[in-house]
Amino acid sequence: MFRRILALVKKEFIHLRNDWWLPAFMLFGGVLELMLVGWATSRPINNLPLMVLDHDRSAASRALVISLENTETFALEAMVDDFQTIEDALERGEISAAIIIPPDYAEEMAAANGTPSLSMILNGAESIPATAALHAAEGVAATLNEELIIKRLKLSPDEFSGFAPRLRVWFNEALSEALYTTPAEMGLMLEFTTLLFAALAFSREKELGTLEQLLVMPFSSLEIIIGKAIPVIVIAFTDFLLMLGMVHFAFDVPIRGSLPLLFILAFGYLLVELGKGMVLSVIAKTQMQAFLLVLLFGMTDFMFTGYAAPVESMPKALQFFANIVPAHHWLEILRGILLKGAGMDVLWPHVLALAILGTIIMTFSLRFVRRALD
Amino acid sequence: MTDAIIQTTGLTKNFKKTRAVDALDLTIGSGELFGLVGPDGAGKTTSLRLLAGLLTLSEGEATVAGYDLRRQSESIKKEIGYMAQQFSLYAELSVLENLQFFAEIYDVPREMIAERTEKLLQFARLTEFKDRRAAHLSGGMQKKLALACTLIHEPKLLLLDEPTTGVDPISRREFWDILTNLHLNGTTIIVSTPYMDEADRCSRVGLIYAGKLVICDTPRQIKKELPGEMVEFLTNEWKAAKTLVEKMPGVLETQTYGEALHLLVDNGEQRLAQISEALTTNGINFRGARVAPVRMEEAFISLIQRLEE
Repeated sequence: MFRRILALVKKEFIHLRNDWWLPAFMLFGGVLELMLVGWATSRPINNLPLMVLDHDRSAASRALVISLENTETFALEAMVDDFQTIEDALERGEISAAIIIPPDYAEEMAAANGTPSLSMILNGAESIPATAALHAAEGVAATLNEELIIKRLKLSPDEFSGFAPRLRVWFNEALSEALYTTPAEMGLMLEFTTLLFAALAFSREKELGTLEQLLVMPFSSLEIIIGKAIPVIVIAFTDFLLMLGMVHFAFDVPIRGSLPLLFILAFGYLLVELGKGMVLSVIAKTQMQAFLLVLLFGMTDFMFTGYAAPVESMPKALQFFANIVPAHHWLEILRGILLKGAGMDVLWPHVLALAILGTIIMTFSLRFVRRALD
Repeated sequence: MTDAIIQTTGLTKNFKKTRAVDALDLTIGSGELFGLVGPDGAGKTTSLRLLAGLLTLSEGEATVAGYDLRRQSESIKKEIGYMAQQFSLYAELSVLENLQFFAEIYDVPREMIAERTEKLLQFARLTEFKDRRAAHLSGGMQKKLALACTLIHEPKLLLLDEPTTGVDPISRREFWDILTNLHLNGTTIIVSTPYMDEADRCSRVGLIYAGKLVICDTPRQIKKELPGEMVEFLTNEWKAAKTLVEKMPGVLETQTYGEALHLLVDNGEQRLAQISEALTTNGINFRGARVAPVRMEEAFISLIQRLEE
């Protein structure tokens, strides 16, 4: 029995050696993608192109523009003379925001009971930069407002004090995007790699016509499954280690929790996805079909992981779905261990959910694949 | 006939819409070189796959190599060598790696692997290509490699599904020389083939038509089934000759082979004389008129034509 499994594993690795594209993609595709995501999101959003239409052309209006620039969220693209230019630039997606300063801006600022105003147009088609732009502009407006009140009440700045909340962010003090995105991205890459590699296990043999040969050999179906699973586990786990090393050393993602616990749970999670992949693998007739199925499953899982939109804000029915997606629990575990240093005392609901889902998926998968192979 | 290595009674395989194999009763003795012929889609491949344990039978009973096909298909797999119609080796593995893979799976004792692979490589004349990837072999070499792989555990029974389809005539001849050698050494071989000259080299031939075994006998007996005798003329004006002789009494079938005209007639000597005379009267030049031996091809086509009527 062991001899046959070993021979099958050896054969799979010879395949991988000769068909280097696949393992290269498996091992380094994830790392590369992670690097790009980490790099792109490692800095706060800034230098959003801004256009200004200044009808006032006063010292006050120039001060306003300078304040906006000083936030670093904006980079002044151009001062323009007519609204049409702004409209065109927005439509072409050349700018993220535009400010229109009315002709009486300085006048209203100076008047004892003036109501200075300004209008801002945001490119809502890209909601994340638009939100960042909005926050920055509101900040500038609040500061100006404060100055205005101080001036009108004829107070000195020291005398004016108001509501000053003390905000502290835990687990990710700098609210760095990279700390949020890279662990999640890494968790998803592990899912994708395992799922895809497992899905190719049988669909590849089917497409090449070698499955028939495999089935006529004196293998038990369990031997075939184990022989096919081992290379997937080896590659996927290696991929996980590479990615973990990368996010830790290149993007300073901390590993605050227990590393052995993380490895054990990563291994367990990998088995769950392996089970899913094998089922897809016997359903698909060609590698292309297998790939499309993985894409479908991967994308659906992705929606429910809580990475794109928090699970808590989903409708109740979808929240239930999210809870039966193993990747959701896996991401909670991964982020919990890396960022929060959480242990089993905190993570147990997710570990339990993963264990239950895993048992169901593995049992079904084993039966399904064995029946397909017999 | 010695003891049967394959014995089936009422072997049937139903697919969703068709009955691919219909109540097949087949007895094949140990040491036979058995040819399975029949038109495309007749059920040759399905029959072989059933016997190899790749499909579950819908009805009937069968024993293969002493094991019950329904219950002991795993034991059967160890005893037989099966070669699928399409290329089913690992294209990414080299010739040697493929052989070694098969040896490991079939539990060939470690100390014997080197010796056997060496022998098989020589046997299949692949020694100088042993490090080449299977994908880069010619079609004929791939077939020989596939055969070598199925032979690594020295099976008692070989099931070969159209092993020479799409192979050039020289490789085909080589392949059959190998098969004949194996046959002489006592291996039982069941081979399906679309080539009638190959059927002629078998010790017995079974003709499958629409899932049924229509006839199963030695090539010599099957040829005797042909109602009549074969007459052959060589002529350059075969078109005119064909139109003429087709209508003559006693001519059952006409087939042209290049410049030769083959006629199936009820009585060879008598009709040969009549036809020669008719051709001469009509001014059609011909030579080499003779009563020719019946070939498998004619016997086969004639049988199929009668079945289709």
